Order: sequence, then C-alpha cells, then structure tokens
Amino acid sequence: MSIKNDSFGRFDFVGKAWLFGGISLFLVIASLIYLAIHGINYGIDFKGGTEIQVKFEKGVTIDEVRKAVEGLKLGEVGVQSFGEGNEFIVRFQGRQGATDKETNEILNADITKIRETINTTFAASNPDIRRVDTVGPQVGAELKRNGVLAVFYCLLVILIYVALRFDYKFAPGAVLCLFHDAVITLAVFVMVGKEVNVSILAAIMTLIGFSLNDTIVVFDRIRETEGHFHDKGFGFVINRSINEMLVRTLITSGTTFISALCLYIFADGTVQDIAFAICVGIFFGTYSSIYVAAPLVLVMEKMSLKKAKA
Amino acid sequence: MEGLRWRSILAVLGVAAAIVWVVPNVVNLGDKWWPSKQKLNYGLDIQGGLHLVMGVDVDGVVKESVTRLIASMKQEMTKEQIAMSDIKSEHPEQGELTIHVTQAADKAGVEKFLSEKYGTVLQVIGTTDTAVTARYFDAYLNDYKNRVIQQAIETIRNRIDEFGVAEPSISRQGSNRILIQLPGMADAEKAKQLINTTAKLDFMIVSHEKTPQELQAMIAEAEKAGNYNMTTMKYSEYVTRLNEDLKGKLPEKTVVYFEKSANATTMEAGAVPYLLRTDTGLGGDALDDAYVGYDQYQVPQVSLAFNSAGANKFADLTGSNVGKQMAIVLDKVVKSAPSIRDRIAGGHAVITLGGSRDRNQMMEEAKMISTALRAGALPASLEQLEERRVGPTLGADAIGKAKMGSYVGAAIIVIFMMLYYRSMGAVASVALGLNVLSIFALLTSFGATLTLPGIAGIALTVGFAVDANVLINERIREELRLGHGIKVAIKEGYHRAMSAIIDANVTTAATAVVLLYFGTGPVRGFAVTLLIGIVTSMFANVFVSKVIVDLMVYKFNFKKISV
Repeated sequence: MSIKNDSFGRFDFVGKAWLFGGISLFLVIASLIYLAIHGINYGIDFKGGTEIQVKFEKGVTIDEVRKAVEGLKLGEVGVQSFGEGNEFIVRFQGRQGATDKETNEILNADITKIRETINTTFAASNPDIRRVDTVGPQVGAELKRNGVLAVFYCLLVILIYVALRFDYKFAPGAVLCLFHDAVITLAVFVMVGKEVNVSILAAIMTLIGFSLNDTIVVFDRIRETEGHFHDKGFGFVINRSINEMLVRTLITSGTTFISALCLYIFADGTVQDIAFAICVGIFFGTYSSIYVAAPLVLVMEKMSLKKAKA
Repeated sequence: MEGLRWRSILAVLGVAAAIVWVVPNVVNLGDKWWPSKQKLNYGLDIQGGLHLVMGVDVDGVVKESVTRLIASMKQEMTKEQIAMSDIKSEHPEQGELTIHVTQAADKAGVEKFLSEKYGTVLQVIGTTDTAVTARYFDAYLNDYKNRVIQQAIETIRNRIDEFGVAEPSISRQGSNRILIQLPGMADAEKAKQLINTTAKLDFMIVSHEKTPQELQAMIAEAEKAGNYNMTTMKYSEYVTRLNEDLKGKLPEKTVVYFEKSANATTMEAGAVPYLLRTDTGLGGDALDDAYVGYDQYQVPQVSLAFNSAGANKFADLTGSNVGKQMAIVLDKVVKSAPSIRDRIAGGHAVITLGGSRDRNQMMEEAKMISTALRAGALPASLEQLEERRVGPTLGADAIGKAKMGSYVGAAIIVIFMMLYYRSMGAVASVALGLNVLSIFALLTSFGATLTLPGIAGIALTVGFAVDANVLINERIREELRLGHGIKVAIKEGYHRAMSAIIDANVTTAATAVVLLYFGTGPVRGFAVTLLIGIVTSMFANVFVSKVIVDLMVYKFNFKKISV
C-alpha cells in the first residue's frame, strides 16, 4: 500500500473504532448468551459414549436405521446421516451398570448387538461398519479437563509473550481479541449443529495462534511507526500501521482461508470440522485484528494517560 | 554478496537431504541401495486399526498384596511368639497396615519384628498406645506399582502376539493406563476379548513318557493330517486343536504346550513342545509373589513365595517329583521349566538360571520369568476406558478426500501468488513446494505418525507459510517505492520482515507445543505437523527463497525482478 508521508492512509479505522467495537462487543455477548442457553454440543470425546459409523451400498433411509436400532431398547440412541446420504452415525450413551466394570461389559454387549442388528437387518444393502469409537466417562472427564488446561496455558503463554515482546499496553488488546475470535467461532460452530470434540478444540487453539499472529504483525508495525510519527498522535500511528499492513493481512488470511475452505469442500469427518472451525475463525480473526485489537491499544493508551494526569 | 556460495551449498544440501528422505515414500525401492529406507507412518485413523486404552487396577493389586502380607505376617508372628492382638488395614490400597497390641509394652517387640523382618519394605509411620502403623516405603510402592503395569503390559503383549499383527504398539500411558494400538486389525472383537481375560498360570510337571523325538513326530503327523500349523492359526486355537487330535495317542492326563522363542511358529524355528502332566493342581492362586533375587555371588535368580495352602501343595509336589522338571505355564505357553532338585518346604523357592551366559541375559530371563509368575499370581484387572476402531475403507476414503482438498488449495494459492507477485510469486511457489517436501522429509526422518488432522495441519501450513513471502514481498515493494534499487530493496525487504516472521512463528509454535503436551492421538499428529511446518517454512520460504533471489540478482545479474 502506497501511503504518502503525512497521511495515515486510505481507511480511517480508528475513527470507526466505536462502531466496530460496539458490534464486536454485541457479537461476543450474544455468543456467550447463546452458548450459555443452548449449551455446548459436546461430542463423545468429552461426553463419553459410543459412535458407530456405517455405510450402505444401496439406499437405506435414516428412519429405517433408527427403527432398527431403537428396537434394541438400549436407551437413547441417536442416528445422523453423514456424507452422501448412504452413511450414518449411530450414537448412544451406554447404560449404567452397578460398577465401572459392569458398565463396560454392558457397553461392549450393546455395541455387538447394534453391529449384529445392522448386519442382519440390512444385509441386502451391504453394510460396512467403518468406525466404532467408545470413550469411557473417566476419559471424557479427563479430556475435558485437559482441554480447559490447554486453552488456559495457551492464553497464558501468549499473554506473557506479548507483554515481554511489546509493551504491557498491547497485551490486553491481543488477549481480548483472541477471546473474541474463540468465543464467536465456538458459537457459530455450535449454531450450525456441529459437535465439539478434541480435534475442534485443537482447531480453535490453532486459530488463536493464527489470529494472534495477524494482531502481532500490526502491533509490530505500530511500534515501528510510532518512532517516525510520534508527534501526529497515537490514533494516526495506529491508522497508518493498519493501512500499511492491510494488504499483507488480507493476503495471508486469504491464503490460509483458501487452504481451509478447500479442505472443507473436499474432505469429510474430522478434517472437515477442523477446516470449518478454521474458516470461521480466520474470518473473525482477520476482522478483529484490524478493527478490534489496534483500537483497544488506543483505549489502553488513553487510560494510562489519564492515570498519569491524575 | 558475502556468504552466498555457502548459503547456496547449504540450501542444496538441505533440499537433497529432504529428497533422500521422501523418495522411499513415493518410489518402491525394493532392494536397491538408498541412504534411508524409512517410510512415513500412518496413524490408525488412516490405515485402520484398533486403538484401546485400558485402565490397570493398580490399587486393587496393592490392596491384595497387603491382604496377603497381613496373612503371612500373622503366621510369622505367631510362630515367633510375638504378642499382638490383630493386624488390620484401613488403607490397604495405600500399602498401609496396623498391628494392634493389647498393652503398650508389646509395641517394642512388634517394632523390632518389623525392622528385622521387613526393614527394607515397611516403614513405621505412626504409633498409638495400642497400635503400630506401618506403610510400604514410597520407593518400594512406586516400584511395585511399576511392576504391576509392566506385567499387565507383558500379559497383553503375549496375547496380541497370537494375532500376528504387523506392528502392535503397547505402551504405558500416565500412571495406570496402557495404550494398545493394533494397525489393520480385522478381528477387533476377538482381540478385545483376549486382552480382557485374566492371565492363567499353571505349574506342571514335565512328563518323559514320550521322548522329544516321539513327541515331535506325533505333532508333525497331526499337523500333516489336519493340514494346519502354528503359522496358519492363533496359538491358543492351535494348541487346543493339536491336543484334541493327539487325544488317545498321548498318555493319560497329559497335554502338549510349547515354549516359544520370539515369533517362533514352527518347531524348527524354536517352538519347543513339552509333554506336561495336568494333575498337579498347582496354579497362580497358590503363589503370593515372585521377584528377581540374587544368590551369594550376585547371580540373578527368581524367588517365589507361596501362600500357606500353596506351600503345602508345593512341598508335596516337589517331594514326589525330585529330579523332574517343573514347567511354568502362562496362558498355555511354557515360560521356563526348571528341574526340581529337592523337596521344597516352607513356601519359599528359588529358580536358578543354569548355563554360563552373560549376566545381562540371565537378568533378562529372570525378569521374564518373574513377570510371568506375577502375572498369574497377582493378575491386575483391566478396564477398558477408550476404544477407537477404524475400518480400512474409511481411512483410505478420508485420506483421498483430504489430499484432494490440499492439492486444490495449494494450486489456488500458487496461481494467486504468481499473478499477484509475478517473479517473486514464482520464487515463493518454488519455496512452497520445497516446504511441503521438507515437511514430509522431517516427518519421515523423525518416525512421526501422519494422522488425518495432521494432513489438515500440512494444508494449513501451506496457506500459512506463504505469509513469510507476503511479508517479505510487501516490504520489498515498499523499499522499491522509496526509490531503492533492486539489491537494496531485497536486502532490506528480507531483513525488515524478519521480526514479524519470527513473531508469527513463535505464536503458532507456542499453541502447537501446548497442544502437543495436552493432546492425545490424532491431535498430537496435528500439533507435530504444525511445529514441523514452522521449521520448514523458515528453511524453505525464508532461507531458500532468499538464496534463489540472491542468485538471480548477484549471479545471473537480473536488473529487475517483478514484485
């Protein structure tokens, strides 16, 4: 971007900071409320339970599958179609036994029952049981705890890095930004009815890394520009920096977005879900590093100035 | 340009090394010579297989061992006439026991007994007026727990071996879990069943009613008649079938089991048949413990401690079979067959390891035998915590689709870079190709496992690695606009973009490291590819691309490079 010496560039980002700040705040609060009311749709990694994925060669309807497995009376059994419509995922929680060992035995017996039922009822349609995942309740709880810890440590490391690498005034902007991206992505993810599993958590954390990177590149430029244009005011410095980095931010986000989008279109299952989370996250991450992070630095700067005056 | 020659050489060497590592994955080398033949491992989510996490009930075993300790302690104290009223344990799973006495004066005797007999195992942790509480030393308890896990792993390994799975991986996870990974396992139900059954230990007297030659001839005949052998079926099914076929030919109350050296499937390869008497009635329930001990010359041996019922049976059995061999049989496999030299009373026996082998080999054998014995004496119950089973078609499908997505994404990015940055875009695209090559090379050389999320990680790295080139090219454009010549612009462009590039990589690396630490299975694969992607993009997209551009400008005297 070619910017004349005394101009902050093409777009006045700082001038619209309040508008976009307001929109972001609204989105975050709406996401939090949505997540609080609707709840996060945990997959079996966190919730425990069993998933059986079966593919039929010939057309079998979801109702037929549902009827077949519900006849077994194994408690609540969910059936979901998958892929091109001839593939289904059968989910169930498993019934509780008196001891963990008994629960496991019941579970194993139930899995066998479902397999046999599918194999006999739909023998004409050539069923192929392609995947069976079972996560015990203990492991689920542990994965959940590890997930929470992972996100926590991730944010902590980032906070420390930004504070060391830049000034303390940059750190809250960066971390709030990441929070913003992660919460909105999670809300969108839940809204479209997808389940949150370990790999989705990994995707969201990767996203935190990506989004931070955009933010930091802008920060880096702010610091450099600050030296040259100190007399023009901090708002000018921020505007000029964002404008200068705009092309870069858009291209990098664009290329990563394309990678993720292609994966989303072509792949399925876990990879598709990861790609979806990354796509959504990159969109909001790019927006937030342009419209949210830098203006937040300005707010921090003003606050510290006020404090200094008082 | 200073150091350009060296940098060029380094870049060429790096790329050459990458090619060396990647080639075995793409080309079927067969027997041809090549510096590295390692191939990339695919995760179970790609090649299909069974992934099981089993919980080992370590506390249960500790509890059982304390209960047994209390029983034998009571006997000994009664025998040595040490006054006490009872021995109990409130926290047996912590390896704790309390000896109660009727009067405070008796405590001294109890403490003396403890330090003399159990000084290396138990420490007194507290006394009241009428009780002495002792607990296993922490080091002893940890060691004990480790042995429990180890023996559970050994037991599982024994059983998995039956299936002849290509590369089973059985490893410890955390303090009390075992991770079992069986690639390409079609017979998952059977494998699970086998893993879940507890080990069975038997002591059997070796019968010499048939000579080894007669026995081998009979087995060979039965195999020929039924057209089967150990290679074509599972060992447990094989011995069952064999013994059925030999019924009537073998003496009454005998069976044939084998001692097997690793992977031996034929008698020629080291599967040694034993004719064993089934009427000994001495099994794992008779044994309290077994451990590696040393004789007065510090030669390793195996010590056995029987419980009181077992001790009597053992004394009778050894007494009536002096000079014969007693086979230790775990899950129908003969683990060892020491000779009985004398009647052994008192419940304590020692197996000395004959032969004049080196100490390490003897140590290994002693460990193997004691593990087998303990697996039967104190079987740890296993609980299935997690199971993931992937059929072979799913993985093949999924990897195909993920690859397709990655190719299309990469193609779009390359086209865009070429259109937008012209020559520098072409340089970036070449660097991108080298980057992907290097990722696969590093994955192969580390022996890392490629999972489906890992492929997603590589695809994202492709999109992300371009970032370095974008940062650099944007800088170069700025420098050119300021009126600098191409040489200065390139130098400054690379130089000044570096801080942003390093920042970007550090933040991504930080999240990847956290993921690697907390993640499991496929997620770790994802983190690994992200980390490797960072390293390779520094090499390819920054270092190599700079070398290429410098060569263009300094060596081939390009006056202009389109950016």
